[in-house]
Amino acid sequence: MKKMKAIPCTSVQVTSGLLLGAAFLFSSPVWSASCCGGGSATSLILPKFSKSMVNIAFDIESYDGYWDGDGIYRNDQPGDDLNQYRLNLGYAHRLSPRWQAAIVAPYVWNSNQYSGLSSNTNGLGDMTLGLTYEAFDGIKCVWKVRDWKDLIPAAYFGVALTVPTGISPYDDVANNFDITGRGFYRLDGNVLIDKTIYPWNASLLFSYGKYLERDVNTEYGKAVEPYKKELGDRMLGTATFGYTHFLDNMDTMTFSLSYSHLQEDEVSYDGRPYAGSEIEKNSVGAILAYSTMNRDWVYKLNFSHAFPEDGQGQNFPVTDIVTVGVSHVFR
Amino acid sequence: MFSVRLIMRAVSLAALLGLAGCDGITDDLRPSGDDNRPVVEEGILGTQVGQISPDFSMLDSLGNTRGLYDELSTSTGVVLYFTMWCPICDTHMSHMRSEVMPNFPTVQFFLVDFVSGSVAASRSAQLSSGYGGIETLVDSDQALYGSYDASMGTTVVIDSAGNIVRMNEDYKDGVKLTETLQALP
Repeated sequence: MKKMKAIPCTSVQVTSGLLLGAAFLFSSPVWSASCCGGGSATSLILPKFSKSMVNIAFDIESYDGYWDGDGIYRNDQPGDDLNQYRLNLGYAHRLSPRWQAAIVAPYVWNSNQYSGLSSNTNGLGDMTLGLTYEAFDGIKCVWKVRDWKDLIPAAYFGVALTVPTGISPYDDVANNFDITGRGFYRLDGNVLIDKTIYPWNASLLFSYGKYLERDVNTEYGKAVEPYKKELGDRMLGTATFGYTHFLDNMDTMTFSLSYSHLQEDEVSYDGRPYAGSEIEKNSVGAILAYSTMNRDWVYKLNFSHAFPEDGQGQNFPVTDIVTVGVSHVFR
Repeated sequence: MFSVRLIMRAVSLAALLGLAGCDGITDDLRPSGDDNRPVVEEGILGTQVGQISPDFSMLDSLGNTRGLYDELSTSTGVVLYFTMWCPICDTHMSHMRSEVMPNFPTVQFFLVDFVSGSVAASRSAQLSSGYGGIETLVDSDQALYGSYDASMGTTVVIDSAGNIVRMNEDYKDGVKLTETLQALP
């Protein structure tokens, strides 16, 4: 009996880890809107007690207007159909019992149709390298709270470096709807807190990112007078709440809901802050995950939705994102 | 089992390296601050800084025909801002409307819509984006877009004295536009 309980508890932790990885990678608003570059994820998290993991996911992102600088929602024009598709390949590897590293590489396709113009471009997106420390050794999920120690969550502390491997406005492109990356290095600090009390699970993710200032001498393929540009500091917070159901064959179905808030401070040109260039986006998400009995395969379906309403964002496109993905864990 | 794992890892690594090795890798990895602007012959007809802008004539979003030199004859300069009604364009246009235009009442400002394709569609985009108060040229065949070698956010300043193009680059934070307009004769 004891053994029977130990298996699903471990399984929940493993599945939870995979979903948290999914949360890191997919459910957050990862600045992937079709007019702002794409493909840059925060990181990829490897479940406890596993050696490595391969993750493949495909995003379909549809543009549905934008919020202006005053937070007012502005609708698309009739005939406009703006989309971005991304294939994300990720690999995570355990370095030691508490340390892991990951790499995520997106490939991006832009498909944009305006009433008087159409464009289709594709290319590699911005890649992400991640290093994560797990501040725990054992399984932190419990079946029942018997002691205060049972309430201790699993905590992950990570850093992630976004590398500008994508096609940015500073390359040979016509406009921002054709880009696949932002063109800046960014260093993120990530904190992920997760607690599972079977069958419920809750997690909090906080990420703070600092872009590195860069030289610019080309804009949209045209050489310009050189200047320095720095994007504003980035903050991302995501809260996720989920429920796991064990099937008769011990496979699991997990359903999670999430809420995310993303913001970036103002852009600077040659050290001068550009007031009014701040960015903000609120979104909600739903994740459905199916995991096999031994938890080495996890299939995920994710839907992220931004509300086309005033006050839900600023200077940012309103998009819906559907993600289909699969993870395979090596133990 | 070991071989399967090895193969999957090798395939994954190869896929990542393959992507990294394709033509998506750009100069963004090592940005340059070198001035690579080509030398242009000044004083001749052209659309780059230092050149004399050729005349053009096109419809605005109200269906009126607008000509560059007609506008220059009644103003101290003309500003063209190329818009596709996106969030970044909105940031620029909002800033230009509130921080630049009021300081230069004798300058004629135009938004240039190069994506809508028709007068009716352009007017609709202009109004729904909240810029009904700024005159908009409908570049339905992207003639201006191509002529000025423009892109989203390109801002062009043409003065009235010598009809010289004073600026042709991204709006950024509007500081250079303001400095350029202050220097107009």
